[in-house]
Amino acid sequence: MHLSDDDIVRSISASPEGIEALYDRYGGLAHTVALRILSDRGAAEDVVQESFLAVWRRGSTFQSGRGSLRSWICTIVRNRAIDRLRGDRHRTRLDTPIEGESLEPAVSDPWAAVALELSGEEVRKALAELPPEQRQTIELAYYGGYSQSEIATAMEVPLGTVKGRVRIALDKLRASLADRVETPWQTQ
Amino acid sequence: MADAVSHDEVADLLALEAVGALEPSERDGMERHLASCAACRHTADEYAELASLLPAALEVVPPPARLRRNLMAQVYAEATASPTVPWWRRLIDAIPASRTFTVVGAAAVIAAIAFGIWGATGRTNLPQPPATISYSVSGTTATGTLDVPAGGTPAVLMVNGLQSLPITKTYEVWLIPPQGSPKGVAFLSPSPAVGGWVAVVPGSLAGYKSLAATVEPAGGSPTPSNTEVLSGQLTAS
Repeated sequence: MHLSDDDIVRSISASPEGIEALYDRYGGLAHTVALRILSDRGAAEDVVQESFLAVWRRGSTFQSGRGSLRSWICTIVRNRAIDRLRGDRHRTRLDTPIEGESLEPAVSDPWAAVALELSGEEVRKALAELPPEQRQTIELAYYGGYSQSEIATAMEVPLGTVKGRVRIALDKLRASLADRVETPWQTQ
Repeated sequence: MADAVSHDEVADLLALEAVGALEPSERDGMERHLASCAACRHTADEYAELASLLPAALEVVPPPARLRRNLMAQVYAEATASPTVPWWRRLIDAIPASRTFTVVGAAAVIAAIAFGIWGATGRTNLPQPPATISYSVSGTTATGTLDVPAGGTPAVLMVNGLQSLPITKTYEVWLIPPQGSPKGVAFLSPSPAVGGWVAVVPGSLAGYKSLAATVEPAGGSPTPSNTEVLSGQLTAS
């Protein structure tokens, strides 16, 4: 029986089978995100397990009309992996309520539709269309956990350049991805 | 606009925030602006979702099977450790507390309700507690139980007294048939929630005579390569 993302969300807190279904659908992607950030198999596995256990223990605050389940679980894993990467021992996310983790990509309904319709290939193509310096900038931030000033130092560019690159990159992605799916968001 | 930061400046900050690169020193100004600007809140939402789409571009690297096994062992163990509240407890909890209505009084009412239902239904329909079969397991230092719920699966193994292992080793759980090779079915994971080690044993236990656990290389072995650290017979005592 194929469960929809909504079915999975409804069952996350109700039974272990809900977490099992969530893991079976997105565990691979979650593992990929953690591994991409941490470059360490053991640490990546720890982060994935911690992330799904946190969802199980704290329950789901995901709202299907405000983003995709895929983005939501990726955000959880990314946050934890970056914390681990930074070695931030002051914040222990396991003990932090999920509500405090910005786990809900709070988006408008049209963008939720975009997220649900996009395939990995479409996102890859959109990223490939970015100039290398813009793509590298957002990847250093998103996967490397670097701040604006750290990126400026690493790339030997002014702070304002980093700001501009990130914003322009996201604006281009928005335009490019919206072109790839039929949604009414552009008219909003 | 009420504050000193322009929409354009805030959009730069929102983009940085979405990819996790915003400096803490710039957060306050951004948040003050967002509190009073619906348009920028909308932009913040869009950037956040865009950033969260980035992982979709990655080529998926399948996780090892042990990750799923360990995760679900922990989840099932915690679910078992916090069983559903029994029906009689829910009834008692539903009765409003008062100085004159003691627990004893509540219990009497519950008993009366229960016997009333029992009498009215031919004494067959009272809710029954779930039947769980427990098998004892033990070793030199460890003791535990394998609890098999009424439905048969999944069984949950909970053990105390096992020593911590280096990251390169794991406790693997085996089901042993009367004849033939043991079947590796689960790994024991430390569980702070239950104060010991837990493993979920999936599938039916029918056809197996005993259960055992051994220390194996992380990831498990095709067959047991060390002596048992615990074992137990799968026969009703």
